[in-house]
Amino acid sequence: MGSIMKALIHKELIDLLRDRKTIITTILLPVITFPLLGFIVGIIYSQQPVRVAIVDADKSIYTDPLTNITVSSEWLVNNITSRLEKMKFEVEKVNSIEAIKNPIYDVVVLIPENFSINASSLNKSARVIIYRRAVFQSAQIAEAAVNDIIRSYSDRLSNLKIKALSRLANVTVSEQAIKNPISGKTEVVTLTGEAAPSELESKGVITRLLIMVLSFVVVPASSFVIDGIIGERERKTIEFLLVSPASLNSIIYSKMIVATLLGLIVAVVDAFSVMIYFVVAATVIVGNVWLFIDIALLAIHSITAFFTILASVSIALPFITRTRGIRSASNIASIVTSIGTIIFLSSFFIDYSRLPITIQYPLYLIPFVHSVLAIQLFLLGEYVKTTMHLALLGISSIILLIITTKTVDSEKILVAPE
Amino acid sequence: MEVLDLHKVYSNGVYALRGLSFVVKKGEIYGLIGPNGSGKTTTLRIIAGLVKPTKGLIRIAGFDIVKKPEITKQYIGYLPEEADVYYRLTGLEHIEFYAKLYGLDSEAVEYGVKLSGLGDRLYDEAGTYSKGMKRRLLLAITLMRKPMLAILDEPTSGLDVQASLKVRDIIKQFVRESSSSVVISSHNMLEIEYLANRIGLIYKGKLVFEGAPADVLKKTNSSNLEEAFVKIIESSGVENGFDHESTYT
Repeated sequence: MGSIMKALIHKELIDLLRDRKTIITTILLPVITFPLLGFIVGIIYSQQPVRVAIVDADKSIYTDPLTNITVSSEWLVNNITSRLEKMKFEVEKVNSIEAIKNPIYDVVVLIPENFSINASSLNKSARVIIYRRAVFQSAQIAEAAVNDIIRSYSDRLSNLKIKALSRLANVTVSEQAIKNPISGKTEVVTLTGEAAPSELESKGVITRLLIMVLSFVVVPASSFVIDGIIGERERKTIEFLLVSPASLNSIIYSKMIVATLLGLIVAVVDAFSVMIYFVVAATVIVGNVWLFIDIALLAIHSITAFFTILASVSIALPFITRTRGIRSASNIASIVTSIGTIIFLSSFFIDYSRLPITIQYPLYLIPFVHSVLAIQLFLLGEYVKTTMHLALLGISSIILLIITTKTVDSEKILVAPE
Repeated sequence: MEVLDLHKVYSNGVYALRGLSFVVKKGEIYGLIGPNGSGKTTTLRIIAGLVKPTKGLIRIAGFDIVKKPEITKQYIGYLPEEADVYYRLTGLEHIEFYAKLYGLDSEAVEYGVKLSGLGDRLYDEAGTYSKGMKRRLLLAITLMRKPMLAILDEPTSGLDVQASLKVRDIIKQFVRESSSSVVISSHNMLEIEYLANRIGLIYKGKLVFEGAPADVLKKTNSSNLEEAFVKIIESSGVENGFDHESTYT
């Protein structure tokens, strides 16, 4: 039996390795496309024009007689201009608010009359109006940048006012005590209450990405099994094989093993490719950003991918073996993989491990939930629970596999119903 | 091999066989002929253990194929009608792969190589082979382990004259070199007349005539098997062609 399995697996591997189209589309393509996509997105993002117009309707400089604080509208205009230009934004000083009617501007910043008087006053506040073009992402980016500059300018001005008042009242004050008498402070901790390492949050993001990657790996694995069983029937090779001493079970198992191996390679390659995508994109956009690549996390992702592929193929297999053509088998497999994709994508918004038991336990019936939980719990250091979910995933897959192989025979494979 | 009162009804209700019985003797080439949908392929698939009979008995060397499939499978070599090759495996890899599955030694591999007659082309991927070359390769694999009973379903179907001749030569060579029995199904009456010691005409899932080719010609007063075939079908009282109840073969 061992030598038969060995021969079958060897045949499947030769067939797979010589299938250049499958190798290129499932393994090499993600390696090239994901980083390339990251580079292109980064380049396009940096080339995205952001245009800002600034209207200085005040055009004044004013010194408050009591505090001796001087505010100049021109200074603010120059400050905004210089900061935005450093961010590669196109900034133009215009004379009229009519600029908001010109669609080329994403944002028009209006510094109203009396800005300098109000900004330097102790009983009034000044206002800068930002006209943001609706819908455009570039407009939102510009608005955020302008607001950031105004906030920073306002903060410095308020510090100067506090110092002036302190001097006038001859009282020692802290700027923070006046501006933020109460402030919140967050200490990030683990489940056991210990201080969370700074990289844990980054790993959390990577974990969600890795779970998402699982949806990319179940598809090629399912396709390989469909092609292996239904394709062999359509290519008229299965009947000759079925009459040999190789049992139907060993034929199916050999295809499952090679499909899972293919899926595993795809999982690791895709995980690396997605990480490189983010590294490349982030480097191009922000510069020198490095995500924390955790080998242990990648390892658990690969193990989870192995069992996830096994589970998805095991679920689809009873239907695949009873369908007539590749198209109908693919449709059935796509339903199974879609369920997986939904669960994997939902992990971006749902922490399955934090769900109430009344919701979590029924969800255990969906094998893909165990895939999500295994990775999420590993990140939290819950290694026993991770192992348990992987075991549940593996056991349910094996049970499904046994049921499939017990209920299918060569006649069903050869003479599938219409 | 004995086939006794064989019936087959598929799960979709199609009647393929309705009480088929015949015997194949040791060292004999038995030709199974009949129109499309008569039940030839179903019969051969049942003998090969790929399809279960609804009723009836098949014994090979005294063993029931349903009760002892693991034993009877060892005695059988089966070449399906539409069998094809793995396009990305070479001819030699095919022979070696099946030799491993059957637990055969290098001698059997050498015999397979010799039977195929493919020479250096055995090192090429089988996807580059002509239909005739593919058929010779699969026939060589079927026969390389010298099965006690070779079941060949339309071994020359779709082949040109030259390719058909080569296939027939392989079958003849195999029978000469072994004491095996062969059950061969074919539409080609000339081929059956050339190869078979006895023929069985199957029609609508039943055996309507059996005998040596010469006997068939004599009894039907025909000059060739094709003429005899038509006469037998016509005398059965039913028009030739598809039986819609039993077109599933």
